[in-house]
Amino acid sequence: LPVDADVAARIAHSIGPAYEGFASVAGTLPFDLEPANFRLVQTAKVSK
Amino acid sequence: MSTEPALMSLTAVAQAITQKKLSSREVTKSCLDRVALWQPRLNAFMAIEADAALKAADAADAALAKGKLAGVLHGVPLAHKDMYYDEGHVVTCGSKIRKDFVATTTATALQRLKDAGTVRLGSLQMVEFAYGPTGHNPHYGAVRNPWNVDYITGGSSSGSGSAVGARLTFAALGSDTGGSIRMPAHFCGVTGFKTTVGLISRAGAMPLSQSLDTVGPLAQTVEDCALLVGLMAGADPEDPTTSSRPVPDYMAAAKASMKGTRIGVPTAFYVDDLDPEVARVLDETIAVLRKEGAEIVKVELPDQRQLTAACQIVLATEAAAFHKRWMIERPQDYGAQVLMRLQNGLAIPAVTYLEAMRWRGPALAAYLAAVAGTDAVIAPVAPMPAVTIAESDVGNSLNAEAVIQRITKFTRPINYLGLPSLSIPAGFTGTGLPVGMQLVGRAFDEAGLVRIGAAFQRATDYHQRVPKAA
Repeated sequence: LPVDADVAARIAHSIGPAYEGFASVAGTLPFDLEPANFRLVQTAKVSK
Repeated sequence: MSTEPALMSLTAVAQAITQKKLSSREVTKSCLDRVALWQPRLNAFMAIEADAALKAADAADAALAKGKLAGVLHGVPLAHKDMYYDEGHVVTCGSKIRKDFVATTTATALQRLKDAGTVRLGSLQMVEFAYGPTGHNPHYGAVRNPWNVDYITGGSSSGSGSAVGARLTFAALGSDTGGSIRMPAHFCGVTGFKTTVGLISRAGAMPLSQSLDTVGPLAQTVEDCALLVGLMAGADPEDPTTSSRPVPDYMAAAKASMKGTRIGVPTAFYVDDLDPEVARVLDETIAVLRKEGAEIVKVELPDQRQLTAACQIVLATEAAAFHKRWMIERPQDYGAQVLMRLQNGLAIPAVTYLEAMRWRGPALAAYLAAVAGTDAVIAPVAPMPAVTIAESDVGNSLNAEAVIQRITKFTRPINYLGLPSLSIPAGFTGTGLPVGMQLVGRAFDEAGLVRIGAAFQRATDYHQRVPKAA
């Protein structure tokens, strides 16, 4: 992206920690052709 | 019954109007009197529509005199965060870009409250495009905390927290994408309910992040929130992401005891690096829960820092996508901080975003496994009480995101998981600032949180305390 150096620095400063925090997860995601299981987990019956 | 109707709870005032113990005009006038007193100090309202409100109140009273009851909120005056479309009214979204935007439709959540009989008082201030946790707004000024006007309200539902805290409205809609209901509830001493993604329609509500946005109320009590959520929840053809499951009787849940429930206390993250006063309030809250019959158990949660990181990636990317056109055409009309944060989103590769989305299922499954056997998890809403408006005015400085991340560190993981969370007033600091705790539940088990939260409020009086105008 054509941005000023100070904007680039701000972006790196802001998003950098999120990348670092998520990197360990991103590397472990299983290969799955049907990965959209959030809804399935979310709507699982509410057990008492 | 209080001599000042505006100090009553939503549930109580609604009953009083329905039973003709109070007129809608008396109640609306009482709220408007408090708005006149407090607005110069708080800047909580975006628009005050006194004449229209009194006219609508008179119409409600006339209808009731003829035996026509609109619904359980007949004649109750309310104001909401200025991001819910209300046909024919300006909806600014806290922005300069939409300062003259007149909605041509009405948000489903708002329409359901109107169908129940509410009267519109006006609209409430908010953070620009709901993208900020402190309550600062470069276009319309910072909203102030009714407990100490030098302190932040929290955001982005800043006007909702401030106005409900000062008893200017009985309740207010907020929205919660990264903590925007729970933080103002915590900082302003009111109850706030972030609902499960999919419980309440988002049609006609300004979007920030389609995967994380939720609609919910702020009010004096858990019972008030239960009443509002019950009215708004349920399938909506205008929003295909809403669940079609039946809406439970939340008001019945509000009358139940918490005896026999199991409440988890995290062993890490949510109990780390707490301000000493927040740590004290957490301990006191746990003691009350135990005394009221809940079993307290420790829960070892998966690494919550990863959830926060993933949440930031999803939120920043989706927000940037929504704002792309205006970022190109009208960058000068954004506040510096919001523009900076939207620009951040442009720097995230699609693959990273999709990985963060793809992890939601496994992350939620891992969380639910960790809390299995519990009805809720108790945690602070934020590591600290309110900070001053001056010290948190970080604009688009290099450390702005770090400040934002610290304030939102306990709320964002819950948004990422899509779970419900009920913020309840749980104590005060030595200097008189409120402290809230959040009860986090399972997806679509809002009733379970209502049960615990309402029982907690029967045992405490923090939610009944009212700030005094100096």
